[in-house]
Amino acid sequence: MNTKSSKNVMIDASRIITEALVQSGADVFIGYPITPSNLFYSYSKERFPEFLAGPDEISVLQWMCGYSAAGKIPVTATAFPGLALMTETLNMAYMMELPMVLIITQRLGPSTGSATTGAQGDLKFLDGIISGGFPLPIFSPSNFNDAWTLSNKAVKTAIEFRTPVIILTSKELVMTQRSFNINLLEPLEQINRTPKVVEPPYKPYKAGKDRVPTFYPLGNNEYQTRFNASTHDNDGLIRKGTPESLANTWRLREKLEERINEYSFFELDADDGADDLIVTWGVSADASRDAINLLRKNGKKVSLLIVKTILPISQNIFNIIDSFKTVTFAEENMTGLYKEMIFGKRKNSKVKVATKFGSMLTPSEIEEIVN
Amino acid sequence: MEAAKKILTNIKMPFCPGCGHGVCVKSISKSLENLGYRSKDVIIVSDIGCSGLVDPLFTTHTIHGLHGRSPALGVGVTLGLDNPNKKVIVIQGDGGATIGLQHILEAARRNIDMTLVVINNLLYGMTGGQMSGLSTNEFKEYKHSNDDADPYDVVNLAHQSGAAFSIRVNNISNFTDVLEEAIRISGFSLVELSSLCTSHGMKKISEMKHYIVAEEKLTNNRSVGVSIKRNTASLLDKSKILTPQFTSKINDSIGIVIAGSAGGGVQSAAKMLAQAAILSGLYATMKGEYPITVGTGFSVAEVILSKKPIHFTGLENPKVVMVVTEDGWNKVKNRITNSTKVFVDTKVSYNSTFITKDFLKVGGKKGAALSAVSYWIKESGVFPIEALFKVVEDSKYVTSLQKAIKGAEELRELVYADRK
Repeated sequence: MNTKSSKNVMIDASRIITEALVQSGADVFIGYPITPSNLFYSYSKERFPEFLAGPDEISVLQWMCGYSAAGKIPVTATAFPGLALMTETLNMAYMMELPMVLIITQRLGPSTGSATTGAQGDLKFLDGIISGGFPLPIFSPSNFNDAWTLSNKAVKTAIEFRTPVIILTSKELVMTQRSFNINLLEPLEQINRTPKVVEPPYKPYKAGKDRVPTFYPLGNNEYQTRFNASTHDNDGLIRKGTPESLANTWRLREKLEERINEYSFFELDADDGADDLIVTWGVSADASRDAINLLRKNGKKVSLLIVKTILPISQNIFNIIDSFKTVTFAEENMTGLYKEMIFGKRKNSKVKVATKFGSMLTPSEIEEIVN
Repeated sequence: MEAAKKILTNIKMPFCPGCGHGVCVKSISKSLENLGYRSKDVIIVSDIGCSGLVDPLFTTHTIHGLHGRSPALGVGVTLGLDNPNKKVIVIQGDGGATIGLQHILEAARRNIDMTLVVINNLLYGMTGGQMSGLSTNEFKEYKHSNDDADPYDVVNLAHQSGAAFSIRVNNISNFTDVLEEAIRISGFSLVELSSLCTSHGMKKISEMKHYIVAEEKLTNNRSVGVSIKRNTASLLDKSKILTPQFTSKINDSIGIVIAGSAGGGVQSAAKMLAQAAILSGLYATMKGEYPITVGTGFSVAEVILSKKPIHFTGLENPKVVMVVTEDGWNKVKNRITNSTKVFVDTKVSYNSTFITKDFLKVGGKKGAALSAVSYWIKESGVFPIEALFKVVEDSKYVTSLQKAIKGAEELRELVYADRK
């Protein structure tokens, strides 16, 4: 029950994510309006220290790259059509190793589909969005607390790994208002951006053991720096197919794979002795939480795994899933896209999917599939 | 000569023999040196194509991006640096200017303080000499192209979009002077330089004069585009705090749908209902649904009130449906079941199983939904109506909102009268 010591407000996740990003040190929001990410646009206009309205999504992400190379943390929010336009530049940002945060609010497709209907249909596109199959950190909040903490982790991961990071949401999560005790949100500190001390000569893409090169922004007075979207050597100059340049490109994968546990987040509600597991993410997590309560109330032993770092997938996720006899994936898409990330499209007697297309997946529908 | 070493490296030019790009690069570096720039004060933004090979030639900071996007990247760098002592020079070819024309116009429209150098060799050099949007008809005829669409005049387009300075230069002996003039300008400057492509175009510069556009110089006197920085307040601090001060009698949860027309205050009424519930110690969710054209058609809101924390926010079978207009009725009538309690305006439906009241009459067009909500609160006793009065008391529309709530009181009196 709400109490007098609570600080209750009616709020949506758009506001929580926007606030968390600014408190974490994001500098500028650059946006192009698109439903259902419009609340991010309007709240960011009110809250970010800098706000720019881009003329199109390609410009938005190019401007963000410029800001990022100049030492700032830029943020945008869009949906699938905008993300599609941004894809080439997202690859550029990835190759240049530019920290930034993109919020993607999923809606029903294909194409423009139904802009005001929620969905969880962009996962596979995101899985392959970096040409060559490189991993891109994607965080998917399941509730308001996640919206707060994962936004902070998004900025932290973007800076510490020098990479774009995506916050993957859905219409129902970011537009639905809820009563919420904002006292539960711990104040966030800005992520430290002080560059490590490097021994001259500075090479902009030379990395140490952590596989992440030290970032010096364009225009700094200490070292000449270079950013490059083409295959490049440690100096940031175009080199086609040299061992150094290919190793540098390979490193983009290594830096995110080798240290995956530093940014891999999940929530496991384990039921002792349970053989059944529900696996879910994002907007379907709340329905799954209710489904778990319904199932347990009726005597069913079942555990719940809510995946929050949805990509890349850490070994921990595989290990948890492997430890159960039956796994039900709960997702708001046609076939269970996260399920296909884990088990592929082939039928598997261990695997069940509770899916919904065009409306929210309900607790009773999940309960029915699990039973 | 001493200054020249600061901006230009000793690396051999990567261009084909006779290519005009080398002259352009040397002119750019020379102009920067003449103006006294040090290498760390300059950021070269390069594009894709032959002009994109320039990075190693400069001792400056460099950033090498995508085909045609370098003017947009340059805008981000310039605004991100926000330092008038640093100079951003963007270099692209005529192919890049074609595919990224919008980015040039946007940089000019905003009069961003950077210099764009378009090296125009009339063709796509790296991919086999295809025609670009800046290829002239004379050149296309010479190349036996069947495209007779006139070329973009990128200098004039930038000018029309608001560039402080835009110029086309064909005479290579003037390149350095013109670039100096452009770089000195505060605001967006565009310099189109004619350049030979000896592999796919002309072999000699003397031949080129028949195929290029005449020189032109255009200026606008405008303020420089900047990004405004400001101090802002926390969005959390701006949220209305709803400290429980009333009590509710419900022990479970209840789902409510409110339906009306756009502009009828449906979403506001739903939010006020949720806020009043929170003031009464309940948890609440609220979501809206309306057509993309938000100013017309239906407006539907879903509210869940609960004694316990709410996870799933979907509403399959609402216990209560309130309808105040025909638009709303058509949208939600299929959601009504035998167990739904329906409150409907008299103009919408006369079903005897519904509670039919003059919500529009007492609340007006904008207050009918709130009147319906008020009526339901009183009728159900879910929490004291004072909670709703508390919610509206600091609204700038407090008088009309109170009137809508009190209007529902009149309807209740009519109920009592009926019962008598």
